[in-house]
Amino acid sequence: MTRYDLIIVGAGPAGLSAAIEAAKQGLKVIVFDENAKPGGQLFKQIHKFFGSKEHKAKIRGFKIGEELLKEANDFGVEVVLNAIVIGLYLDKEVTVNINDEIRHYKGDAVIVATGASENMVTFDGWTLPGVIGAGAAQTMMNLHSVRPGNKVLMLGSGNVGLVVSFQLLQAGCEVVALVDAAPKVGGYGVHAAKVARCGVSFYLSHTIIKAEGEECVKGVTIGEVDSRWRLVPGTEKHFEVDTICLAVGLSPMSQLLKMAGCEMKNTPAGYVPKCDETGETNIPGLFAAGDVSGIEEASSAMIEGRIAGLAAAENLGFLDKEELSEKIYELKKALLSLREGMFAPGNRGKAIEKTEEGIDLSINLLKKGYVGETEIERFPGVTRKKGVHPVIECTQNIPCNPCQDVCPKKCIKIGDKITSLPTLDETKECSGCGMCVAACSGQAIFLMNEEFEPGFAAITLPYEFLPLPSKGDKGMALDRSGKEICEAEIIDVKTKQVFDHTHLLTMKVPVNMAGKSRFFVVRRQENE
Amino acid sequence: MSNVNNRFKKDLDKFITEFDDDLIICRCEEVTKGEIRRAVHDGMYTLTEIRRYLRSGMGLCQGQTCQILVKGIVAKELGISPMDLEPVISRSPTRPIEMKVLGNEGKEAL
Repeated sequence: MTRYDLIIVGAGPAGLSAAIEAAKQGLKVIVFDENAKPGGQLFKQIHKFFGSKEHKAKIRGFKIGEELLKEANDFGVEVVLNAIVIGLYLDKEVTVNINDEIRHYKGDAVIVATGASENMVTFDGWTLPGVIGAGAAQTMMNLHSVRPGNKVLMLGSGNVGLVVSFQLLQAGCEVVALVDAAPKVGGYGVHAAKVARCGVSFYLSHTIIKAEGEECVKGVTIGEVDSRWRLVPGTEKHFEVDTICLAVGLSPMSQLLKMAGCEMKNTPAGYVPKCDETGETNIPGLFAAGDVSGIEEASSAMIEGRIAGLAAAENLGFLDKEELSEKIYELKKALLSLREGMFAPGNRGKAIEKTEEGIDLSINLLKKGYVGETEIERFPGVTRKKGVHPVIECTQNIPCNPCQDVCPKKCIKIGDKITSLPTLDETKECSGCGMCVAACSGQAIFLMNEEFEPGFAAITLPYEFLPLPSKGDKGMALDRSGKEICEAEIIDVKTKQVFDHTHLLTMKVPVNMAGKSRFFVVRRQENE
Repeated sequence: MSNVNNRFKKDLDKFITEFDDDLIICRCEEVTKGEIRRAVHDGMYTLTEIRRYLRSGMGLCQGQTCQILVKGIVAKELGISPMDLEPVISRSPTRPIEMKVLGNEGKEAL
């Protein structure tokens, strides 16, 4: 038996954040994780995070993971990997399988940050090899550099389904369809739009009927469902695929808390312990933080972890009550701001039709994954102006504001309310530096110059694919739906360290196509 | 749980075979949807009873994949919301482990 001030189960965003805060207060902290690598899901997150500076917005997930690990190391946190916690007992005794031996540890306080596991759905053929979780696909691609398949169908249009679809495209897979039984896209519209403009078709109100194949997946049949989730006969569609990815939600892995005797509750965010605002359960000194206390984003998990770490310090007398409330005041504010906007936990299941500004939402975005041409002009970030200027296709209230912070000319305004739609300050002159294009985690900002050459416009777009086109490359411009609409030529490619692997392509298109052209593909016929 | 008990006020509908009853739900223990539905009609109204009766969720993954699926099927059969069903009891070991490891107490400090 070894005793620690604080034992943390799980070295993901919540667990590591908790460990850092507690260690800063002088606690002796040990973190167990069953995986060979720390960081939980963070190291699979190759996209830039949303939020504001204090939420580490516009930093890619895996970089946040590296930062957390370094910080934990600096403060003397002991992180034990390949350490499988198998039990949590009375008086905070923890049993851990390390190197095929059972070790007993006792913590004066324990924080459970075990995260969540992926949900599955059943259909004919769902047990065939080739039907995988979206998280599994992410692990294969982003941790092990293995492409999960060549032709993929994604089920689920929440943020996980959308983000992983984009990553599959980046890995060189063909995403043949994005399917969801719900009538509307569930995740951020900007995530949907960047997938749609690559040419992925969205099938809302559709479900998988059957995965085909004897030994492994060879194809899939989907069909439309009505408002009562019944299949509409005659709407079947067939795709040849070798992989079916399921992104149908997550469930908290709260078994340890239940085993320890915590009071539990069934909620729409999963089966979770009853906690106070610091994450403390009904058992004093036993805390839950991150997805295990209710499914949210990594950004909120990190803040919950920090709060729980500080609260554990207070529980053991390293901080007094006043110091604690002072320290967590800002953290709670940051957490609340992440829980605002139309995707807030409190808005789950509600039908929202207008933005906070009173603008009708894009119906096309919710049904097809991209904003319609007639809809886009009503959003405040989309304006027409002489010379180069940003076009911000940000149409939903989500907690995110890096575009406002990075603009050196202060052209872009969001204001204090982090969920407000960005607007353009017409009195300020855009320098065309492209910082906003690279900083937008949703890849929703473009630079437009309708007077580039007589009859031609220049459009700068964010680009995160390989091979990177080069200046002079000719190809086709794609519209928001991914349809090829006109010839385009790359006239500039910008790559800077500060853009963090988001390259800026500037393409020349006929001026009448400027409002539609939002993506580029190199013309391949010439080489073949 | 209260809503589960309300079930006793009226009899369960008669068991009627469904087209996808032979769909595997618990992959580890190869338990089908039909078996789970049948178990409810046999009088197993809680997830813990179903687990003991059919061994669903007792295999290698310890219900990580199927527990939500089983919950949904049982709730539908009982005509209640899945939110009204208490998940199964949690016990150590929470992860699959070989008996020789479970019995191998680490004595020396790491």
